[in-house]
Amino acid sequence: MKQIVVYQEKCTACRECEVSCSFSHEGAFVPALSRIKVADFYEEQFYQPMVCVHCADAPCAAVCPTVAIQRQADGQIKVIDDRCIGCKMCLLACPFGVMGFSPDKGVAHNCDFCDGDPQCVQFCTPGALEFKDVVSAAAPAKQKAAAALGLPQT
Amino acid sequence: MSTKYVLIGNSAAALAAVDGIRKFDKQGEITIVNRETGPAYSRVALPYYVAGEMTLDDLLIRQKPDYQKIGVSLVENENVKAINASAKQVELESGKKVSYDKLLIATGSETIVPPIQGLSSIPHHYLWTLEDAIGMKKAAERAKTAVVIGGGFIGMLAAEALRKLKIKLTIVEMAPILLPQLLDEGAGNLFLKAVRDEGVTVKTGALVSAVAKKGDAIEVTLKSGETFTVDMAVVATGVRPHAAFLQSSGITLNKGVLVNEYLQTNQADVYAAGDVAETKDFLSADRSIYAIWPTAIDQGRAAGVNMTGKRQEYPGSLGMNVVELFNVTLAQLGRFREGPGDSVKMLSSKGSEESYRKVVVDKNGTLVGAVYVGDENGVAEMGVIHSAIKRREKWQGFKDGRQPQFTYGAVMHNVPRY
Ligand SMILES: Cc1cc2nc3c(=O)[nH]c(=O)nc-3n(C[C@H](O)[C@H](O)[C@H](O)COP(=O)(O)OP(=O)(O)OC[C@H]3O[C@@H](n4cnc5c(N)ncnc54)[C@H](O)[C@@H]3O)c2cc1C
Ligand code: SF4
Ligand code: SF4
Repeated sequence: MKQIVVYQEKCTACRECEVSCSFSHEGAFVPALSRIKVADFYEEQFYQPMVCVHCADAPCAAVCPTVAIQRQADGQIKVIDDRCIGCKMCLLACPFGVMGFSPDKGVAHNCDFCDGDPQCVQFCTPGALEFKDVVSAAAPAKQKAAAALGLPQT
Repeated sequence: MSTKYVLIGNSAAALAAVDGIRKFDKQGEITIVNRETGPAYSRVALPYYVAGEMTLDDLLIRQKPDYQKIGVSLVENENVKAINASAKQVELESGKKVSYDKLLIATGSETIVPPIQGLSSIPHHYLWTLEDAIGMKKAAERAKTAVVIGGGFIGMLAAEALRKLKIKLTIVEMAPILLPQLLDEGAGNLFLKAVRDEGVTVKTGALVSAVAKKGDAIEVTLKSGETFTVDMAVVATGVRPHAAFLQSSGITLNKGVLVNEYLQTNQADVYAAGDVAETKDFLSADRSIYAIWPTAIDQGRAAGVNMTGKRQEYPGSLGMNVVELFNVTLAQLGRFREGPGDSVKMLSSKGSEESYRKVVVDKNGTLVGAVYVGDENGVAEMGVIHSAIKRREKWQGFKDGRQPQFTYGAVMHNVPRY
């Protein structure tokens, strides 16, 4: 499936991704509402964009008590707003801490690929983000690493 | 020949078992027997129905055609009276018998009726089934004041729903804090203050000893002798596994139905999962029952897989809970109250003065639990701690004296929360 692939070493923590995400989803520049978040270690000069990986065995979807989280035909893990009661069980279940919450709407949110044209990828000038098919030679290695850590496989 | 699977119950555990079965057996005949009517609904969402935020349709987590699509026949409105394990049959109250090759008991919990004098003589409400919720909602439409007996998880959810309907509340809780199964003293006191600040009367360390009808109202008497009257009474003093009907079945019961690490009971081809099952605990050598949705899902899925003949070990149950009440988000994981030999790490949090975050580490240095009170942002971090507990990660100390270190944790705690 197509996913947002992160090239951590290219990230400069400019946060254009956070701003463009929040603007396209919430109509306002509120990084707190962004579905992608950049972790920063300023001293180490290490920046890590964190975004939903649409796990194959998605713990967020398994745990949702109202089936508000459903996998779409393209593989995407999507929160159906109308079904979400805002219980935050999915936030507690996501091992990567990337399921977010909109306090105003009272619903959970994760990356939804902006209908196939992720705005974070568009605005990431350093090229740290790419939207592409991840079925590649690297996939098995990634699966193995995830399995070794006991993480859901992506 | 295809296998005949029979599942008793039509909720979290049973539906997850269907997924587990269908993963490996597309042909087997699956029958769900349920004493309630209609497709499955979400118990967790019932308070939202009471508060008028969801319709009955919204509560449904399956539609009728969903069952047909995956080849499940649903037998509704039939109470299972007994299991005859030697004949491999389930006996229904209507007198019918259903035979099985593999059986799953997923009958969940039932509410405990507390020994309160006069309780049976007054109208009162529980909050466990859809029927309960419908009754509570009706009563709430006419009530201006209510007492909630029990300040545990269900009691607090009921209280929150009634508060949204502008009903004036008194909550009576035996323990010194609210939500004693979810919060430690520090977190509990912070939460207690938040509830009282919202104008709710909370009586902790108090016990309701009697209730009586006083005209249209209900008079509540506490053990201390204090009395007050309300329009409506909600009882939420706990639940227990719904297993009494298995007494004569030869199935070993303790608090719940005892199962091994493959969710099997002592009877051949009989499994149990969800609130009714007493399983291995993830953290200790004990058996445990956490009456929560996530464990029902995990156990149901694993039971389903094992019923097909494949082996999937259940790693044990880990308590986890999260809820937003009175504008405060509360979350708990594993062993959040320190026991002998455990140590506690308090995490200071960025941005919020009103939050409480604690991690518990056992004597071997392994992360075993956490508790959080604050805004919703902290819950995502609890998710990372959750996965670290499941990986049995060691506590690696703080970075910069404040950010906890564990796989992903270092990254997560540097995510700005604004
Ligand atoms: C108001 C409320 C809010 C909750 N909120 C949360 C929450 O926020 N987070 C959380 O983790 N958990 C929550 N829970 C708990 C959660 O709903 C349960 O842990 C979960 O439903 C357990 O699933 P289960 O499948 O084991 O049993 P249940 O959901 O109890 O289902 C049992 C099924 O068995 C059927 N049944 C029982 N006996 C028989 C019989 N003899 N014959 C035939 N059928 C029978 C019932 O009709 C039902 O279909 C909440 C519960 C309630 C009531
Ligand atoms: S568990 Fe987290 S990373 Fe996986 S699909 Fe859900 S939100 Fe995305
Ligand atoms: S917050 Fe919404 S999406 Fe997340 S588990 Fe609860 S109901 Fe499901």
